Amino acid sequence: MAVMKFLCDTKRCIECNGCVTACKNENASALEWGIQRRRVVTINDGEPGEASISVACMHCTDAPCMAVCPADCFYQTDDGLILHNKDTCIGCGYCFYACPFGAPQFPKKTAFGSRGKMDKCTFCAGGPEEDFSEAERLKYGANRIAEGKLPMCAELCATKALLAGDAGVVSDIYRERMVLRNNPDTIWGYIPTVGSSN
Amino acid sequence: MLNKKLNKSLRSLFALLVLLMGVGFSTTALAADEQSSKQQAVTENPADLWRAVKAGEPGFTTYNSLESDVLINVVGNDGRLVRDTYVKPAIALSVVGVFGAFLLFYLVNGPSKLEKGFSGRMLERWDKSDIWLHWVMAVACLILMVTGIFLLLGRHFLAPYIGEGTWGAIIITCKFIHDWVGPVFIVSWLLSVIKWMPLQTFKLYDLKWFLVVGGYINFGPFKGKHPDSGFANAGEKMWFWALAIFGLFVSVSGLMLVFPNLDLPRVASMAALLIHAGSAVILIAFTIVHIWMATVLSEGGMECMVSGYCDENWAKQHHNLWYDEIKANGTLKYQDD
Amino acid sequence: MRLTRKTDTVEKVEKPGLGLNRRQFLKSASLATGGIAAASMLGSGMMRKAEAKDVPYDAPTDVIRTICSHCSVGCGIYAEVQNGVWTGQEPAFDHPFNSGGHCAKGAALREHGHGERRLKYPMKLVGGKWKKLSWDQAIEEVGQKALDIRSESGPDSVYFMGSAKFSNEQAYLYRKLAAMWGTNNVDHSARICHSTTVAGVANTWGYGAQTNSFNDIRKSKCMLFIGSNPCEAHPVAMQHILTGKERGAKIIVVDPRFTRTAAKSDEYVHIRPGTDIPFIYGLLWHIFENGWEDESFISQRVYGMERIREEVKKYPPEEVEHVVGVTKPQMHRVAKMLAETKPGTVVWCMGGTQHHIGNANTRAYCILQLALGNMGVEGGGTNIFRGHDNVQGATDFGLLFDTLPGYYGLKTGSWKHWANVWDLDYEWVKSRFDQGDYLGQDPMTSTGIPCSRWHDGVLEDKSKIAQKDNIRLAFFWGQSVNTETRGREVREALDKMDTIVVVDPFPTMAGVMHNRTDGVYLLPAATQFETYGSVSASNRSLQWRDQVITPLFESKPDHEIMYRLAKKWGIEQQTFKNIEIKGNEPLIEDLTREFNRGMWTIGYTGQSPERLKMHQQNWGTFDVESLEAPGGPARGETYGLPWPCWGTPENKHPGTQILYRTGREVKYGGGNFRARYGVEHNGTNILAEGSFSKGSEIKDGYPEFTADMLKQLGWWDDLTAEEKVHAEGKNWKTDISGGIQRVAIEHGCIPYGNAKARVVVWNFPDDIPLHREPLYTPRRDLVAKYPTYDDRMVARLPTLYKSIQEKDFAKDFPLALTSGRLVEHEGGGEETRSNPWLAELQQEMFIEMSPADAADRGIRDGDAVFVHSPEGAKIRVKAMVTPRITEGESFMPYHFAGVFESESLEKNYPQGTAPYVLGESANTVLTYGYDVVTQMQETKSSLCQISKA
Repeated sequence: MAVMKFLCDTKRCIECNGCVTACKNENASALEWGIQRRRVVTINDGEPGEASISVACMHCTDAPCMAVCPADCFYQTDDGLILHNKDTCIGCGYCFYACPFGAPQFPKKTAFGSRGKMDKCTFCAGGPEEDFSEAERLKYGANRIAEGKLPMCAELCATKALLAGDAGVVSDIYRERMVLRNNPDTIWGYIPTVGSSN
Repeated sequence: MLNKKLNKSLRSLFALLVLLMGVGFSTTALAADEQSSKQQAVTENPADLWRAVKAGEPGFTTYNSLESDVLINVVGNDGRLVRDTYVKPAIALSVVGVFGAFLLFYLVNGPSKLEKGFSGRMLERWDKSDIWLHWVMAVACLILMVTGIFLLLGRHFLAPYIGEGTWGAIIITCKFIHDWVGPVFIVSWLLSVIKWMPLQTFKLYDLKWFLVVGGYINFGPFKGKHPDSGFANAGEKMWFWALAIFGLFVSVSGLMLVFPNLDLPRVASMAALLIHAGSAVILIAFTIVHIWMATVLSEGGMECMVSGYCDENWAKQHHNLWYDEIKANGTLKYQDD
Repeated sequence: MRLTRKTDTVEKVEKPGLGLNRRQFLKSASLATGGIAAASMLGSGMMRKAEAKDVPYDAPTDVIRTICSHCSVGCGIYAEVQNGVWTGQEPAFDHPFNSGGHCAKGAALREHGHGERRLKYPMKLVGGKWKKLSWDQAIEEVGQKALDIRSESGPDSVYFMGSAKFSNEQAYLYRKLAAMWGTNNVDHSARICHSTTVAGVANTWGYGAQTNSFNDIRKSKCMLFIGSNPCEAHPVAMQHILTGKERGAKIIVVDPRFTRTAAKSDEYVHIRPGTDIPFIYGLLWHIFENGWEDESFISQRVYGMERIREEVKKYPPEEVEHVVGVTKPQMHRVAKMLAETKPGTVVWCMGGTQHHIGNANTRAYCILQLALGNMGVEGGGTNIFRGHDNVQGATDFGLLFDTLPGYYGLKTGSWKHWANVWDLDYEWVKSRFDQGDYLGQDPMTSTGIPCSRWHDGVLEDKSKIAQKDNIRLAFFWGQSVNTETRGREVREALDKMDTIVVVDPFPTMAGVMHNRTDGVYLLPAATQFETYGSVSASNRSLQWRDQVITPLFESKPDHEIMYRLAKKWGIEQQTFKNIEIKGNEPLIEDLTREFNRGMWTIGYTGQSPERLKMHQQNWGTFDVESLEAPGGPARGETYGLPWPCWGTPENKHPGTQILYRTGREVKYGGGNFRARYGVEHNGTNILAEGSFSKGSEIKDGYPEFTADMLKQLGWWDDLTAEEKVHAEGKNWKTDISGGIQRVAIEHGCIPYGNAKARVVVWNFPDDIPLHREPLYTPRRDLVAKYPTYDDRMVARLPTLYKSIQEKDFAKDFPLALTSGRLVEHEGGGEETRSNPWLAELQQEMFIEMSPADAADRGIRDGDAVFVHSPEGAKIRVKAMVTPRITEGESFMPYHFAGVFESESLEKNYPQGTAPYVLGESANTVLTYGYDVVTQMQETKSSLCQISKA
C-alpha cells in the first residue's frame, strides 16, 4: 500500500507562496480568513544561508496529534494519510501543542475551550464524510485523492520544489535530482547510476 | 519504553529529514573557489540550518498565526510521549490501584470502630458554610475527575466499544462540563483553602500519628493505638495540603488550557497539560483515600459532613486534643443546645 | 460568514467570507444585491446570478484553457466551469512555459470568478455620494463631457491612460481609438516599467524586447541578474532558472538588497542604488584588461566599441569601489565568471530601468553582452523580464505616447501606413487632431504626455506645455495611479481635472484618492477571464486566452466599452470599418486580423487567430526545452509564434524564439541585428561585416529591404502580380501584402537588413551610457564628477534635473530608498489586495531597513514609523528590520494604497468595493526624476528619512 508523503526541496523553494494560495483555492469551501493549512517558513531570512521550506501536515507515520487527541478524532487512511473527523473534534488544542510542524489550526480563540473545530491539511483527501458530498466539501474541502489527483499545493508548485505522492516515488525523484546536482555535466534527465532517462 | 517510542516518533520525522537533505547533498559541487563569498560559505553549510530548525529557531513567514514562524517544535511531541508513557498509566493506577489497595486493606483490616460505641451526643464540628463549601467542591471535583478521566483515557476504555457518534457526543459533553465546572472548583477550592488553613498547621504530635498509621490498623503492634490529634489529624492535614498545592497547580494549568486567546507558546501549553494531568493523579489518589476513610473505614466519620456534628465518642477517639481544647475553653456546642 | 482579521491597522466595516464554495458563491451574490442596492437597481447580470441554481459536484464540467493575468511569464491554466460558475482550477502540466507551476497569484486565479470586491455597475459621484448609472447613461455623460472639452480645449485635453492588462486586440483598439479621437496623449504602465529598455535596447540592436525566452535560460551557463528579483516578480521563471543552475550554471545577483533570488545565487553583489553603469563598466574594465572580450563578434557585429573602451578606462577598480562599493576581487571574480562560463545571459527588470538614466543603464547591459559575444545564441541574450501579463503586447501595439502600433513612430509616413491599414483617408485622420502648433510641436506628429507625468499635464502652467490646454479629462483604463510617484501632486491633479473616468474591474485609486464630491465616473470593466483574445508573454510568444465565464455583475469587456464610446463620439464607422460588431461587441478575431495586416515592423503579421488557437489547443506538443513542436499540427513551430513571425499567416513562419540568431535560417526563426539606423555613421560602415544568418544569399551586411532594393537584387519578379501592386514604392514595413518580406526570406535574408549593433546611440542625449548620480543622491561628493542633465523640455513637458540635484537633501534624508515587488501582490495591488487568498498573506505596508539604521533611530522590528520624503510627504508604515538591507538604504513594496499620509481612504470607496487590505503607497513619498529619453520615473534611487511614529 502506498504511503503518501510531502517533500520540500529547499534548493528549489523560493517562498512564492503558490502552495499556500493553491491550498486556499482548492479548499476554499472549508477555509476562512486567518486559517492556513500550509505555510512557507524562511530560515535566516535576508541573510546568506537563507532557505525556505513549505510546511503543512507531514502525515507522520506515528502521528503525535493522533496519539494526543482526547477525542480520538484522527484516523490514518490506507495511504498513510492522517485525517480527522471534525464532528468528533472537541477543539481542545492538544494536537497543536503536540504537532512538531504546527499543522493543526483553530478558527476561534474564545475562552473556555471554544477554539472551534480543528483544521489541517488533508493531503487534499477530504475527510470521513462520503466522497464529494456537500458535507465533505464544507468541512474538509477538496478530495483530489478520490479523483485520482495529488494535492493542489504540490501540483501547482512554481519550481517543483514541493513534491507529494508515494514516499518511494517522491524520494526517487529527489534522489535523481541530487545525483544530477552533483554531476551537473551529465545530460539532463540521464541518470548515470541507473543508465536510464526520466 | 520511552526510548522505543522516541525512536518511533523520530521515524515520524523522516519526511522532514529528507526534506532538509536538500540542503545537505550538494556540498561538494561549489566549494572550489577559494575566495568564495560569504554567501557561498553559508549556503553550503547545511548543518547550521538543520540545527537551527531543530532547535525551533523562528524564521520568516507570511502566516501570522501562533508560532507559525517556527518550523519544528520537538518539545510538543516529547511532552506527548511523557503523557502517553507516564501520565496515562499513572492516572489509571491512581484510580484502580488506590481503590484496589484500600479495598484490600478494608477486607484484611476491617473498619476502624468506635471503641466505646456511639454516645448519642453530637458535638458541632463544622458550620453550615463549611458543609456547603465542602460539598460544592466535592461535587465539582468528582465531576472534573470523571470527565477528566474520560478525556484522558476514554478513547481507550470506552470509544472502542461504542459508536463514533455516541462517543463524539460523550466526549464533547465531557469537555464542555470539564471546562465549565473548572471555575466552580477553583472558587470553592480557594475559599476552602483560606477558610480551613488555620486548622491545618502541622504540629509535633502529628509525627507520632504517622508512626502508628493513625491508629487505623486493627492488628499487630498498632492495634488499639490512638495517637493524639487536634481538629484535623495528620492524615487529614496531609490531604488538605495536597489539595491546596495540587489544587493550585491544577487550577492554574487548567486556566492556561482554556484561554487560547492568551496565545501561550506551545511549550507552555504542553507543560500545562502535563502538570494538569500530573496534579490530577495525586488529587485523584487522595480523593479515593478520603472517600474510603470517610465512608467505610472510619465509623462515624461520614456524619460530620452530613450534619456538621460528630459523636462525642468519635471526637474523643479520633481528635482527642481538639475535644480537650473545646471542652476547656467552652466552645464545645452540643447539637440540641 | 466568518472572517476575522489578524491585524487592526485597517478596520473593515464588513467581514465577508473568504473562500466561497459553489453554494456560498451564489448566496453571496444574492446577498450582495440585497445589501448594496434596492431591487429596482438590479442589473440583469446580477439577477442572473441570483437566480442561478446550486452547482452540484457532478454537474458537467467545461475545461477552458486560459492564461494567468498576473505577470508576463504567461502561465497556462485549465479553468473548470460548471453551470457558468468557475468552480475549479487544474494545473496545465502540458503547458510549455509553466508545466503546471504557479506562484501565489496564479494559484489564486480562480478568485477572479468570485470578484466580491469588484465594481458592480457604472457609478458616478454626485455630491459626495456614489450613484448608480445605467450603461447608456454613463456612456452618454462621459462621452459628452469629453466632446465638450474637445470643443473648448482640443482633443489633447482628454487623456487616454491604457492598460497592460488589455488583450492584444483591446490594446490595439485602444490605441486606434485615441488616434481616431485625435491625440497622442495615450500611454500605459510600460512607461514606468520597461520604457527605458524598449528605447535603449531597440536603439542598440533593433528590437527592445526579451531576446531569448524563459525556457531558453535552461541552456544558459551563467546568469547575471541585475535589478531583477524573479523569485518575487516572476516566480515561475525560477523553474527554468533553477533547472539551469542544477545543470551547472552560475547565478550572479546584483542588487542593493539581498533578495530571495540572491539567496539562490552563487555570487551576490551589492551595489549602491543607481550605480549600474559604473558597475558594468567596472566589469568591462576587467574584461578588456584581460582580453576576455569576443573580438571576432565585436568586429563583425558591433559598431562603436572603441568609444566604450575609452570610457571604461575611467572606471578602474578603485573608482568602482568608490562609486559602487564593490571590491576589486569581487569585480574580478564576477568578470571572470562571465567570461569563462558561456553562454551567459543578462536579466534585468525595474531595478535597472527605473532611473533618470534608465535608458543608458539598459544600453550598458547590452554592451556587456555584446563585448562577451553572448547575443543570438541559445542560453545567451538579454532576458528582459516584462511585468504585467500583456505589457509586451500593449507596448507592441503602441499604447505609448510616442508611437503608433508596431513602433512605427508618429511621423507622417507612419500615419499614412496605418491609415492605409485602417482603410481610411489620411486627411480624415489628420483632421481629428488639433491643427495648431505649440512650442514648435505639431500635436499629431509629436510625442504626447507620459503616463508617469499625466499629473504634470494637469497641473503645469499651460503656456509651458506643448499642447493647447491642460489635461481636463482622463480615462484611467486599467491603471492604478498609486504606481506614479509624487503622490501629493497626483492627488492635486485628480482634484483639479474636470472629470475622472475610471474604467476598471475595481474602483482603483483614481476613483477614491481625490477630495472631490462630483465629476468621477466608475465604469466596471470585465477581467480577461470574462472575454477572450491573444496575449503576448515577455518572450514575445502570443497565447490565445479563452473566455472562462461571462462578465460578472454588470461589467463589460473593454472593447465593448470602447465601441460604445466611439459610437457616442460618432467615429464608430471609421474605427470599426472592417470589424464585425455583434450587438455592441466588436469581434476579437477581426481585430487580430486587422493588426496582422499592419504590424510588419515587428512581425505581428503571421499570428492569425487560427494559428494561435491551434497552438493553444496543442500546448502539450511543444517541447519545454526548445519551445518547438517536434511533431503534431504545429510541427517545427515555436510555441506562440514569438514575434517576429514574418509575412502573412499563409507563409507559415514558425516565429522567432531567439532574436539575432545567425546560426539559423530566417525562415526557421534565425536572423541578425537590425539595420535600423542607416548604412553608415560619420563615414563608417555600420552594416555587419562577414556575419549573416545561415542560408543568406547576401553573404555580408545589407540594408533593410525596399521595393527598389528588390529590383536591384533582381528579385522583384519573385513577387506575384498582386504583391507588386502593393509593394511598389513601399518597403518591408509598409508593404501590406507582405510580398517584400516573403521574397527576402525566400532568399535567406531578413527583411529588416543586416547591420551591426551600435553601442553609440547618436540620437540620444548621452550617445554612450554615462554615469550620472541620481537626482536625490546620498553621495554629494560625487555630484560634481557625475552630474545630471540641465533642466530641459522632454516631449511636451518641462523636466527638472539639475535644479533638483543642486540641493543637498542627503543631510536631512540620508537613507537611499528603492521600491519593488512582493510575490503576493501585483502592480498597484487593487486586484490582489481584493483577493482574500492573497490579501491575507500580505496585510500591512512596511519599509525594510537595516539593523544598524534601525538601532540608530531606536526603531525595532514591527514598530510603526514615519517615512519622510524630501518633497514633504510623510507616510506611516511598519518597520521591517532585516539584514536583507545594507546600512544607509531602505526598501518599500509599491502595491499598497488606500491610506494617504495617515488618512484612510476607505470611506471614499463605493460600498463593498474597498480591498481587504489597505495601506500607504510607497509612491506617496517617492520623488521627482524622469528618464531623459522616455520619461521613466526614478523610483529605484531616491532618498528618505525614517523616524519612529
